[in-house]
Amino acid sequence: MLADALEHLVRGIVDNPEDVQVTARSARRGDYLELRVNPADLGRVIGRSGRTARALRTVVGAIAEGPVRIDVVDVDRR
Amino acid sequence: MTNQDTPAPTRLEEEGEIAADYLEELLDIADLDGDIDLGVEHGRAAVEIVSEEAPGALDRLVGEDGEVLDALQELTRLAVQARTGERSRLMLDVAGFRARQREALEKVAAEAVEHVKSSGESVALDAMNPYQRKIVHDWVAAAGLVSDSEGVEPARRVVIRPA
Repeated sequence: MLADALEHLVRGIVDNPEDVQVTARSARRGDYLELRVNPADLGRVIGRSGRTARALRTVVGAIAEGPVRIDVVDVDRR
Repeated sequence: MTNQDTPAPTRLEEEGEIAADYLEELLDIADLDGDIDLGVEHGRAAVEIVSEEAPGALDRLVGEDGEVLDALQELTRLAVQARTGERSRLMLDVAGFRARQREALEKVAAEAVEHVKSSGESVALDAMNPYQRKIVHDWVAAAGLVSDSEGVEPARRVVIRPA
């Protein structure tokens, strides 16, 4: 559900919604959401001084009723 | 703070529709009950998420001091911009939070104005964000006094001076 919420929030604000992919992952440090976007949209999801990325974390964290870690990865990287 | 190029009502209605689609789907995914009210206020699209459920059902979307509401407003503006290609200044509210905040700020401004009038001395208010300061400046101007802002964000605050 959180992954769906993040995916929806991001698809709405980018130029290439079809390239948005969110995967829920678990690691020793805890669960997190991995967000992949088209490299051309990286600036869009991060925003000036990280403002948009912060807004995404705030809203997803509010829905989760707790902090959520979001890692932004561009699709070129593996 | 100026009214340059106030967008046409149809543009603002379109902004509201795009915002409503974006927010409705989010409510759906998050399994939150809420309806979207649309309007135009002060030359901006006004969008409000309301709930007929118990009061507090949407508190999560407001957050402490409206922190979540501001974040959601930011994302909603970006969603509108992605579709229209134009910057949006739409105002988002959740269950009347901003309306209550405005009332509280006007009360603070009213008390400060009284103090300035009776003492003839300036009064500096607590630090506020730009939206809150605008509400206070408007109120002070309507009361016939002068105000400006001092300091650097996030510690910037309104100072009310005798006319």
